[in-house]
Amino acid sequence: MSHEDLVGRALPSYTFTVEAGKVIEFATAVLADDALHFDAEAAAAAGYAAVVAPPTFSAAAQSWGAPTEGGLELDLSRVLAGGAQWEYDLPIVAGDVLTVSGEVVSVEHKTGRRGGMTLITRESRFVNQRGELALTVRSTAIELDRTPADRRSQDLEDA
Amino acid sequence: MTVAGPDTPTAERAFGPISRTDIVRYAGAGGDFNPIHHDEEFATAAGYPAVFAHGLLTAGILSTFAAGWLGLERLRRFSVRYVDQVWPGDTLVTRGEVVETVESADGLEVTARLTVHVTGEHGAGPRLVLTGQATAAYPGTELTGAGDGRD
Repeated sequence: MSHEDLVGRALPSYTFTVEAGKVIEFATAVLADDALHFDAEAAAAAGYAAVVAPPTFSAAAQSWGAPTEGGLELDLSRVLAGGAQWEYDLPIVAGDVLTVSGEVVSVEHKTGRRGGMTLITRESRFVNQRGELALTVRSTAIELDRTPADRRSQDLEDA
Repeated sequence: MTVAGPDTPTAERAFGPISRTDIVRYAGAGGDFNPIHHDEEFATAAGYPAVFAHGLLTAGILSTFAAGWLGLERLRRFSVRYVDQVWPGDTLVTRGEVVETVESADGLEVTARLTVHVTGEHGAGPRLVLTGQATAAYPGTELTGAGDGRD
């Protein structure tokens, strides 16, 4: 159950094209209503080359390079999202070609209200086709030692 | 002309109620097919009462609120910490409050504290599900004295 040896492990690097359709699909899914995500003319009027990606669009990059392919081998029934941070250096617009690289930056074991858990934090950097850093994302996944169902059956055995 | 940060020092917007369809739409858009979010049998076998929304769905909706309030092109940093689950039928209430305004080389930099609470289908709640923070920069602006958000 120890994942401490994951610290420093590089995540697989991958490259993807930001497609206008994916920007619109993602913006719709996060209930966005800003025309900059949907309308190329509105984006052009605001000075953008194409529709603009929503602030958490990096999540959609999982469609091209799933983090589970990073060899983390987490048990999905025990995984919860812990938190995330986005740092924006440049806008991401449709047509951009982004290369993503990153690594596991920390692994901590804690005991909380859901019992024991491992917090795994990854950092990913999104560099555009001009070699400019556009976005840095840090995200923390929580792997519970036991699912709620595991805990319930353990409580019954203990009773 | 000086536009010192967002139009209002606090803001609030409700979204939802969040349906299973909203959750599945996010699974496809975000490429996250952990079955805990769409497969009722998988979720209940793991001990949850139902499927629940991706944390990133709630975070994405909060970013929609924050970008609308602070300005999409102004955002420099956005962060979230997940506190509790969002279940199908929950209505999200997103709120923001400016907590700091400083002058930087980039013009005014405004930091806002963000929260998401849910109210359930049957009037339950409000329950805190997510806390966050956003920083936005307003190039070409400066503090203007009274009412600038400076403590």
